[in-house]
Amino acid sequence: MDFLNTFLIGITAGAIYALMAISMVLVWRSTRVVNFAQAGMALLSTYFGFEAVSKLGSFWIALPVAMVGGALFAALVEMILIRLLVKHSSTGPIAGVAPIIATLGLLGVIRATAAMIWGGQDVRIVGPVSNDGYSINGTTLVFSPLKLLILVTVLVLMLILSLVFQKTNIGLALRASAYAPEIAKLSGIKVDWVRTLGWALAGAAGAVAGMFQTVNGNGTLSPDSIEFSLLLVSGFIAAVIGGLDSLIGAVIGGLVLGLMISFVLMYVSSGLFFIAPFVILLTVLFVRPQGIFGAKAARRA
Amino acid sequence: MHKKQTRDILLFILGGVVLYFLSGMVDELRVYQGASIAVYVIAISSIILLTGYSGQVSLGHGALMAVGAYAAAVARIELHVPIILCFAIAVLAAAIGGALLGAAAARLSGPYLAGTTLALAIGLPSLANQFSLLGGEQGLLFDVGFPPLSLGADFTQYKWFFWIAALAALISMWVIKNILSSRYGRTWRAIRGNEVAAQLSGINIARSKILAFTISAGIAGLAGALLSMTIGTVSPSAFPLALSFSLLTGAVLSGITTLGGAMIGAVVLVAIPEVADAVANRIGSSERVTTNLPGLLVSALLILTVLFVPNGPVEQHRARKARKLTLKK
Repeated sequence: MDFLNTFLIGITAGAIYALMAISMVLVWRSTRVVNFAQAGMALLSTYFGFEAVSKLGSFWIALPVAMVGGALFAALVEMILIRLLVKHSSTGPIAGVAPIIATLGLLGVIRATAAMIWGGQDVRIVGPVSNDGYSINGTTLVFSPLKLLILVTVLVLMLILSLVFQKTNIGLALRASAYAPEIAKLSGIKVDWVRTLGWALAGAAGAVAGMFQTVNGNGTLSPDSIEFSLLLVSGFIAAVIGGLDSLIGAVIGGLVLGLMISFVLMYVSSGLFFIAPFVILLTVLFVRPQGIFGAKAARRA
Repeated sequence: MHKKQTRDILLFILGGVVLYFLSGMVDELRVYQGASIAVYVIAISSIILLTGYSGQVSLGHGALMAVGAYAAAVARIELHVPIILCFAIAVLAAAIGGALLGAAAARLSGPYLAGTTLALAIGLPSLANQFSLLGGEQGLLFDVGFPPLSLGADFTQYKWFFWIAALAALISMWVIKNILSSRYGRTWRAIRGNEVAAQLSGINIARSKILAFTISAGIAGLAGALLSMTIGTVSPSAFPLALSFSLLTGAVLSGITTLGGAMIGAVVLVAIPEVADAVANRIGSSERVTTNLPGLLVSALLILTVLFVPNGPVEQHRARKARKLTLKK
């Protein structure tokens, strides 16, 4: 029973990490930036969601509000910060680290601002369904309607995203701009707008991850909470395990990470909470430096 | 070349003399802040060496500082080694950690490396809670002892901290400066400029990158031990993720390739909490705002610098002067 419970906890957490990883991948594919502020943006969207919940009372209205808020904010960040960054800091010794530093700065700004506005109050979001476990033959599982809902929603979102990428013109434009921006531009795609769209989609996905991480945990999300740190690190690690370039990789990376953390905590030691993801990341990168699904870098000379 | 070296040594000695008189003239708080500045100078220059010269990013230097600090404290408590040896042990322990991390880092590039070190920065300090030797959440005491009596009765503890830190800062700046202008420094710059070209001219890329990481980590370890000296304890909470971030901020503010600029970044990092306090008092805001204002200022400054003065104020000034000169011709 322990085994099953551990598995179910891991897969639910993994689904949330997978969403976070997907938003990292979307940003990476559209602008070649690893967005360290992604978790911060998810945090902000979750606060939007909280405001909606406390005004309108329903989780099902708050979720789209958080998604739209997250998407708009992300689009704004791309249009202002990232475009300026490309214009000013793409040469010189700083070029390689400028995006990393800028997004870290953004993370700091969001954290501090959020703590100024919402810090100290009881920010609590109650999930739409109960988080009490199902019981089978008298034993209670840790798997609850809420966890089931999270899994299903994440799966549906992933399906929609991959359909958009594979079957629609927008998806084609997204893929073309990521693959060869110059050629995409020449064939009439408005690459700048496509990039903004990539960020907006990522913002929406991150918002869902933030909302679910909150209700799956103890119902609150604050910049100093463990839930938030996990979101920050795990989304990134899951994306890297998957290879940064691949949506499927992100999903598998997220699930693998969620399961591994869950099993390590259960069977090795619960004190390894933060060091486990690091060890998992190092192990994967030692075997495949470009991630499991990442394309090998082309020969440069 | 020889002449230049003598000039440098003289400059460093002069710097020491100026610091000596300064430390006698200001009050205790300023002396303490001076010690913090010296610690930050060391830590920032370790980032400048790593990121500015060898082109590798580390968001985990806070964790390496923790390694150095814990090594020094354990050596002091368990083995009662003399204080100067404690600092040497800190450098050694962090350098070993850095070599291990560097071996992993040499295979990774850009964002992958940044993320790995980020995970380390979050994970490593919490590991201290696993071993009773390291004192858990409370941490360990790290006491360098009272200043020697020969320095006089009114020689305060903070002044003693400042002296140790400032001396360490001067020495490490001198060492780093020499490393950077040596064969190794040139090798790193070559790799940063063009990895393939560097490889073709016979440079062993992996080995040079690991070396850079090792040296940088050793310096960070020294900074960590000094930091815990000024605090008096070593605990996980002294090395939060925010520390790693502010070091990077300091390095960017200094100019990522300007070793001499480390001072700028360090002063800004120490000054920001005070500025934030003053601002918060002026506008009379709530505690929520006051506690988060420093973080906001640091982060905003980081973004603005990277957008508008990407290579640092010193480099920017130099570039502007160079442009004027070519215009005149």
